[in-house]
Amino acid sequence: MTGQQPVISMRGITKRFGGVVALNGVDLDAYAGEVLAIVGDNGAGKSTLIKILTGVYQPTEGHVELDGKRFAMADHSEAIANGIDAVYQNLALADHLTPAQNLFLGSELTRNIFGIPVLDNERMLQEATEVLKSRLGVELRDMNVAAESLSGGQRQAVAIARAVRHSDLRVLVMDEPTAALGPQETARTLQLIKTLRDQGLAVIVISHALDDVFEISDRVHVQRRGRCEGVVMTKDVTPEDLLGLITGAKTAA
Amino acid sequence: MMTTDTRSPLAKLEPIMGVLGPLVMIVLIAAFMGVFEPARYFRLSNMNQILLDAALYMPMAVAMTFVITQRGIDLSIGSVAALTAIIMAFLIKQYGFSAWVAGGIALILGALMGFINGLIITRLNVPDLIGTLAMDLVYRGFALVLAKGLVLARFPELVTEVGRGQSLIFLPTPVVIGLLTVVLGWFLLTRTHFGRYTIAIGSNPEASEMTGVSVDRHKIYAYVFMGTMAALAGIMLMGKLNAIQATSAPYFNLHVIAAVVVGGTSLFGGRPSIVGSLAGVLLLSMMINALVTLRIEFFWQSVASGAVIILSVAAYAWLQKKDRDGAGSFREALANPDTQKTIRMGGLLIGGLIALLAIGALFATTPGASG
Repeated sequence: MTGQQPVISMRGITKRFGGVVALNGVDLDAYAGEVLAIVGDNGAGKSTLIKILTGVYQPTEGHVELDGKRFAMADHSEAIANGIDAVYQNLALADHLTPAQNLFLGSELTRNIFGIPVLDNERMLQEATEVLKSRLGVELRDMNVAAESLSGGQRQAVAIARAVRHSDLRVLVMDEPTAALGPQETARTLQLIKTLRDQGLAVIVISHALDDVFEISDRVHVQRRGRCEGVVMTKDVTPEDLLGLITGAKTAA
Repeated sequence: MMTTDTRSPLAKLEPIMGVLGPLVMIVLIAAFMGVFEPARYFRLSNMNQILLDAALYMPMAVAMTFVITQRGIDLSIGSVAALTAIIMAFLIKQYGFSAWVAGGIALILGALMGFINGLIITRLNVPDLIGTLAMDLVYRGFALVLAKGLVLARFPELVTEVGRGQSLIFLPTPVVIGLLTVVLGWFLLTRTHFGRYTIAIGSNPEASEMTGVSVDRHKIYAYVFMGTMAALAGIMLMGKLNAIQATSAPYFNLHVIAAVVVGGTSLFGGRPSIVGSLAGVLLLSMMINALVTLRIEFFWQSVASGAVIILSVAAYAWLQKKDRDGAGSFREALANPDTQKTIRMGGLLIGGLIALLAIGALFATTPGASG
């Protein structure tokens, strides 16, 4: 990764909530075509970190750089407009809408009939099927069922497809993507993440599951008590090393 | 990834239950009346009367489908209908407005009242149940203040045409209007942002907010639609009776909510059925007409409507319960100590009631004139 310019960088990020210091001078770099895992105990500042990255929170100190240029995001929609999106743990699907309706929720396609914008359900169905297949390699047998009848992995795919539908997406943040999934669904989701990485996205994954971290990530960013405890190449460490860093028993070389 | 449909055959029926349920009950009522009062019930004029009664509720049931799908409720529609109709009546009778203009004003006023309801719920954070119940008092109060005890009657032809005209050879005008609102509702639900977001908001409000859906604004839209349709119903009622007073339309709320719920729209949000609401309206009208035909006292209608609501909501709740295995047998349920305590409680209440009645009867004296 050296020599290449990071897509997105965080420099000296500090975030205080009243007297509580959630983040303390954290640096982070994410590169195109790599999976960066963020690990750390509860309360280590992982969630705050990605909320700043996706424009939900503003940092108290420090700044974010996009392609090496300083860049401030007023809110989440500004992050999306700049190619940064997130898939949250609870997936945020509307259970009674179909996959295509969920995929386009909030940004529906319309066509004009006598000057009135009318939802173009056919085109949305077509494009949703296309995005799922071409970007994620997922084919749902029935695109007309409500999302509630999909499996956990399929729901995950729909939620990811909503983010990657924007062709200018460059950074995808995933919060605990496998937390609610069984072994088979987990394997499928990890495969999806690799697919996205191979398409040149910078994928940032927050995870508690060290097995997953070792399977998919190229680098690991360890958070501990609001500080970055170290960034290591995944292939250079053992699970014991990583656990040591997370708990503070070891320090990065 | 493959989808396997592991749902039970019963659960697969669920999407069409909204239409199927009322249809079964409609057939049952028809069969029952076919046995007991065929001549009077199935007269063409009576069929026409059923449609005429149903038409009044169609616009409101369509709009209420949207409100309930968003996990909302509107308990002010009867008063909105009465107040807007009374203002329209005054404009026509006292100020000589043309019926067209007065009708337009009534519809806009209805929309405005819905808008106020929406603002109270979304901006002042008053729960919909309390907010619209309170506004029901407010709107009804204004109607009483304006009309006092007056009955305003005899309106231009346009008004009576809307309420009881027979524009098409076999379909009354209000039925045509009602069916048009059903088509409008179906279009809004399936083809507009408003309809899509209505389902999304009822399904998962947090997710809708996160994906950039303006939840509050679309909630307000639903109440504006509801208010407009209530005003339309007020005009139709006024035309049907050719009269209006401040206490008109007292049972709109419950009747409309009953029709929507019977029609399969989920009270828990996200699951609308416009066609079901139409079927629900027809069912209630048939039922009430059957009670009238059987010469059952008017006041029993209220009992029947309430029973239908409870029965249908309970049926849908049972259908939607994912895990029916855990229920166990009736005998097992009886053995549950908690159930036994509940039964004892019920027994105690009934026993106490019987005991007091017995004591009262035993020591009863001849009732005097002044008691």
